[in-house]
Amino acid sequence: MKHFVKHLPHYLSLFGILFAGFAGLILFSYDKHFQLSIIIASAASYVAWGVVHHILHKDFHFEIFLEYLAVAILGLVIILSLIIRS
Amino acid sequence: MSVLKLLAHLFIPHESNNQKAKILHPISLTFLAVFIVGFQVLLSLGGISFPKTLGYAANISPAEVIRLTNVQRAASGLSAVTENGTLDAAALAKGNDMLAKGYWAHFAPDGTSPWSFFLKFGYKYQYAGENLARDFSDAPSAVNAWMNSPTHKENILNPHYKEVGIGVVEGSLAGANTTIIVQFFGTALGGSPSIPIAKAKDVGTPKPVLKVVVSSPVPKPSPPQVTPSPSATPQKEAISTVSKQLFSPFSYTKNLSLGIVGLLLLVLSIDLIVVRHKRIARIGGRTLAHIAYLGMVLAVILILKAGQII
Repeated sequence: MKHFVKHLPHYLSLFGILFAGFAGLILFSYDKHFQLSIIIASAASYVAWGVVHHILHKDFHFEIFLEYLAVAILGLVIILSLIIRS
Repeated sequence: MSVLKLLAHLFIPHESNNQKAKILHPISLTFLAVFIVGFQVLLSLGGISFPKTLGYAANISPAEVIRLTNVQRAASGLSAVTENGTLDAAALAKGNDMLAKGYWAHFAPDGTSPWSFFLKFGYKYQYAGENLARDFSDAPSAVNAWMNSPTHKENILNPHYKEVGIGVVEGSLAGANTTIIVQFFGTALGGSPSIPIAKAKDVGTPKPVLKVVVSSPVPKPSPPQVTPSPSATPQKEAISTVSKQLFSPFSYTKNLSLGIVGLLLLVLSIDLIVVRHKRIARIGGRTLAHIAYLGMVLAVILILKAGQII
C-alpha cells in the first residue's frame, strides 16, 4: 500500500489509460475496426507505462519489460478474439 | 513432485518458482496466449468441417423489431413506420440472397444493390434505407446495437420513412450457422403494391441475427418494374420454428477467456498478499498494475456481446 500511495500519480495515469480504453470500446461498439485499434493502443500504452514507471523507479530490467509485454499480449489476444467472434 | 507441490509451483510464490507463481512468468503467459490463438483456429476449422454445428442461436421476431423501432421513433417524436408486406418480402429476399451468395454486406459481390430488391418486388420508392444485423440473440439487442451506431440510428429515426419491412433468415455463412435480420425502410412513390403481411414474418426461432445498416435515402424515380406475384415471393420464410442448440464460437471464447482471466486475477491477488506478508524482494513488474490491466480485460469480456452490424 505504501508503494501505491507513494506512486499515486503513476497509478492514476495507468487507471486513466485503462479507463479510456474501456470507455472507448463501449462508445465505439458499432465500429469493430476502431475497437481493435483502441485495444491495441491500450495494450501498447500499458507496456509503455510499465517501462516508464520502472525507469523512474530505477528498477527497470529487460525481464520486466517482457513481463508487461506478455501480460499485454495475453489481454490483447483475448479481447481481439472476442471482438472478432462477436 | 506431488500434486500439491505442483499447484504451489504454478500458483503461489515459492522458492521453486523464483518467488513468483509459474503461471505468471512471461513464458507461461505467452503459452496461454498461444493456446487461445490455437483454440480460435480449432473453432474456425470446426466451423468448416461441421458447418451445421457452429453458430448462434437466436430468437428474433420481426414484429418485435418493428415495435422496438417504433418505440425509438416515438421517443424522438416521430410518427411510426407501418409494416408493408412488399418490403417484408423484399427484405426476406435480400437475406436469402446473402446466404445464397455468401456475403455480409449491403452490396452483393456481383454488384446487386439493396434497392434492387425494392424494385424487384414492385416497391417504387421515394426514399429507401437498409439496416442489417447478424448474430444477435434477440430483437432488443439488435435494435439497441443499431441505436448505438450513428448511421444505423439515422435510418431508424429518419422522418422520411413511412414504411418498414423485416426479413429474418437463418442459414450458413462462412461456415457458421447464423441468423440475419434485414430491415428495409421506405416511402413509396405513389401507391406501391402491398403484399399481405401474412407470413413473410413468422419469426420466433433460434437464429443468428446479423444486421447491417445502409444509410441511404435515395430519392429517384423508379423504372417500370416487373413485379413478381405476391404468391411467388419468398414467403417461404426462411425461418424454421424449431429451436436448435448450436455451439456458439463467441460463447466458447468468452467462457474460456473468463476462466483464464479469472484464474490469473486470483493468482495475482494471492501473489500480492504473499509477497507483502513475507516481504519478498524480487525483480518483477507491479502486481497491482497487472491486476488493473487484467481487470479491464475482464470488464471488456463481460460487456462484449455477440452480434454484428455494418
